Formats: sequence, structure tokens, C-alpha cells
Amino acid sequence: MTDFEALRTAIIKGKRNDVTAIVQAALEEKEDINRLLDEGMIPAMREIGDKFSRNEAYVPELLIAARAMQTGLALLEPLIAASGRKSIGKIAIGTVKGDLHDIGKNLVAIMLKGAGYDVIDLGVNCDTAKYDSAVKQGADIVACSSLLTTTMPYMREVVEHFKGTHVKVIIGGAPVTQAFADEIGADGYSEDANGAVKLVDSLYHRAS
Amino acid sequence: MMTPRENLLSLWRRKGYEAVPVDFALSPAMVEKFLRHHPGHGDDYREFFSFPAREVRTTFLRQKETDWRRYYPGMEFLPETTFSIWGTAHEKTPESMHMSRMYHPMKNFTSQEEFDAYPYPEFDETQMESCRKEVEAIHARGLAASVCMECTIWECAWYLRSMEEMMIGMMTDDPMTVGHLERITVLAEKRAAAFAAAGVDFIRLGDDIGMQHTIMMSLELYRAHLKPRLKRVISAAKRVHPSLLITYHSCGYVTPFLEDLIEAGIDVLNPVQPECMDFKEIHDACGDRLSFWGTLGTQTTLPFGTPEEVRDAVLRNLRIAGEQGGLLCTPTHLVEPEVPWENIEAYVSACREASEKRSVISG
Repeated sequence: MTDFEALRTAIIKGKRNDVTAIVQAALEEKEDINRLLDEGMIPAMREIGDKFSRNEAYVPELLIAARAMQTGLALLEPLIAASGRKSIGKIAIGTVKGDLHDIGKNLVAIMLKGAGYDVIDLGVNCDTAKYDSAVKQGADIVACSSLLTTTMPYMREVVEHFKGTHVKVIIGGAPVTQAFADEIGADGYSEDANGAVKLVDSLYHRAS
Repeated sequence: MMTPRENLLSLWRRKGYEAVPVDFALSPAMVEKFLRHHPGHGDDYREFFSFPAREVRTTFLRQKETDWRRYYPGMEFLPETTFSIWGTAHEKTPESMHMSRMYHPMKNFTSQEEFDAYPYPEFDETQMESCRKEVEAIHARGLAASVCMECTIWECAWYLRSMEEMMIGMMTDDPMTVGHLERITVLAEKRAAAFAAAGVDFIRLGDDIGMQHTIMMSLELYRAHLKPRLKRVISAAKRVHPSLLITYHSCGYVTPFLEDLIEAGIDVLNPVQPECMDFKEIHDACGDRLSFWGTLGTQTTLPFGTPEEVRDAVLRNLRIAGEQGGLLCTPTHLVEPEVPWENIEAYVSACREASEKRSVISG
């Protein structure tokens, strides 16, 4: 009998060894993989994300929880494909052209993965061709990051590039604001990593 | 009449000032604008605008390692890539202007032996004489002598090890992480003491511990690993030169750290980004114990405001600081290429105006 509460706690506190033990035991007992993900691991990452939004957890707590989550996922991955589990959404994320900063972008990627989304991390200095390459792989949301006021205008080009397609463009980064998002016609803006998860949820019409 | 040095130090000690000093750092594209607007003066805008301080170039560091690529197995760097004296790789790309992408040589270290064998820079006391001469030359011009030791502990550590590995190591009290912080701190203590002995007027310390709207790590984690080490570095300098000032830089929102930073011994907080922190609020809370450097937003007012808005922001912040000083009002960060040159001139003009007509910032 899997102790889902213990699994959630182990991820939130970043206890990798505990996560490994619980997941291995669950697999030996033929636990449903979807239950492990949907009742244990993903809710744990969403909880740490909510704590982050409430300033009860900070970047180190997110990272250590994400690492514990990743440890569990590594055990599940060979079985996930065989289980026929469907993706809940695929997001391409990258820092825009001319900008090499990636701390914020990486945090958003970590939180989206923790929430159960498939994430194509395009890295930094991304032009529209790079975002296109991810769309060809099935991404239907493009998340653009920027730290510099100098590189922010490229977000407008990305928005223009995908205008009229099914692809939604969301933006974030230190100098970026909701007003700027509205001005360039982006499909959404978030001021932090957990907010980005909620934004993506809303674009996929998922309750968060 | 005060020299620029006397004026700046008196201002930062909140003991009054005669002139409102100006200071900023231009990106290369902005230097080009300066050259177009002020031909015939060379590219030293610090001289042209009469900045009150100059940095010494001495580092008190030496490094024997020359082949840093061996710490990046399998990496193919672009041709323009450079390596810091610590071994951090900085890769430039054609689109990245004055920025570069950083790579971390210790990122994949898994054993204490790898840390022990890593060529950290060494303290080089033989640079003392040349440092003293640099300080004397700056003082002889009536200017304040400073040194930049930013990326003092935390940033230095994660530039080498990666932020993720450092954060997780600090969360778990990993001995390799703690040892790494300690190596960096001991070296910083020696350097700070040496710069103090050479007679610099202020040391620029700093580690980014703020994000745009929140702190980067909990106060508990900060107090466990970083605050005591920062305090040691500051104490090492002030033991030698008690009246020396310590400026401390952190981007972003650091309001919750203020009391800790003051306890650690900082004198001046930089850059006080108005997009992240309320200058009036923090000045009300600790303006009697802390001075400031910055406050003119490079995410908002400077690139996107009008010259009038720049003037208003400068005068408002000087007014908040009060008659005894306490604020070196400057752009918060490097001035990026898209900033209209008129806004730089507006900033300088506002400072000059406040110098000549104190009534615009009084009351």
C-alpha cells in the first residue's frame, strides 16, 4: 500500500533517498503509475510551487524538491511510455535572441516539468527559427524569457511570428510586465515560476 | 571647498555634502553615443562628467593555471571565449553584445579530491606596493579610491560550481560546498585586508541574493552560510582601516536582508532598484544606519522615461535622502544600448541642478 502522503512529503523536503525507497516499493507492489504521479509527485511539486508564491519557500527549496522529483521520475520513465499515459501539454521555453540569461527560464522549466508538462528547453539566445523547431516537435505554447530591456523587443517579433497559428506565446523575465505583454499582444505573462505554471494551466483550461 | 573624494565620503557618512556627484557605467554602445555627442574628449566619460571615484586595478590575486579548457571536458567553446582568473568560462556569441554565457568548471565535481586539486587563485601580497601607488595617484587628484570585490562569496562560489549545485549543497550542509565557500572567504578576507592596508576609501562587495520580487533564498539559509562569511570579510578590512566604507551590491528585492547586511557591517547599499524596492520605505526603516547608491531605474525610467521623468526621479530620491546626504544617486545598472542619450544628460543635469540650487531637493 503506497503511502502517498509520505511520497509528497519526501519530495517537498527534497529527500531523494526516501523518494527512491517509496517509489521502488510502490513499483514492486504494482502500484498504478498514474496514481504515483497524479496523487503523489505532481501535487508535491505544485505544493512547493504554491509555497514559493507565498514566500514560504525559495529557489533552493524548489531545486531540492525538483531533484527529488527527478529521482522518482527516473524510476518511472521506462514504464510511463508503456502505460500509454498521455501528455497534458508540451511547452517550448527559451531566453530570447541576444539574451544569455537563463536562471529564471530554468526555474520556469523546472516548475512546468514538476507540474507534469512536457518541456522542450531551447536554452538561450533563441530566434523564431528555434522556437519553430520546438513547435514542429509538438509544442503548442512558446514561453519566452528576457532579463534585459534591450532584448525585450524581440518578444514582439516572436508574438508576431506565431500570430494566426494555434501556438500561444507567453512571456516573463525581470523587466517584463503585464502592460508590456498586453502591448505586444502576448497570450500571457507571469512574474514568477509558479505563476507560469498557473498561466499554462489556464491556457490548457486545467484547474490548478 | 571639499574635494570630490571628501564630498563623496561625507555624503555616504551622512555628514552633509557640497555637490551632488554623478556616476554611471555605460555599455559599449552607449560609449559610442557619448563619443558622438561629445567629440574630442576621448572615450573616458568618467573624466568628462567628473566622477568622484576611481578604481584601483590591483587584484592581489595570482593564478598559475593557463589551460582552463581541461576543466570542461567535451566542451567546444566559440572562438571568442575567455576564462576568468577563477576559471569560469565566458562565451560570447555574435548576438550577445557585451554579454557572455557563463560555464562552471566545478559543476560536475563529485569528490573532495577534485575540489582540493582545483587551482583557486592565490593571494599575492607582492602587489601591495603597486596598489599603494595607485591609491596615492587617485587621492592626489582629489578623488576617492575604490576597489571592486563584488561576487564576493556566493556569486563567486556558484560561478564556479553552478547555482543549482551550490543551493542544494547549502541546503544539505554538504561538506564540499561548505569547504568551497570557505576557500573563497579566506581569500576574500586576505584581499579585503590588503586593500584596506593600501588605503582605499571604499570596497565594493556584493552577491546577488535578491530576485525581482522576492529574496533568492531564505533568511535561515543566508544566515547559516553567507552572512557570517560576509561579516568576516568586512571585519578583515575594517580591522585594518576602521573608517573605510563597505558598499554592498545585490540586484533585486533585498528588503528582508537589510538588518542582516547592516549587522554584517555594510555601509552603503547598491543599487536599490526602484522596480523591486521602495527607496522611501527602506530609507525610513534604516536611513539613519545605511547609505545608498543607485535608485534610478534602468528597467524603467532611464530607458523608457522622458528626460523630465528622469529629472523628477533624481530630485525625488535626493529629497528622500535628505540634507545630510546618504545617497549617491545613479542609474542602478550598466546603461544598456537602448537608453536615449538625452536621459543620461537629464540625469547629469538634475544632479548639477541640485548641486547649484539646493532648494529643489529640500523640504
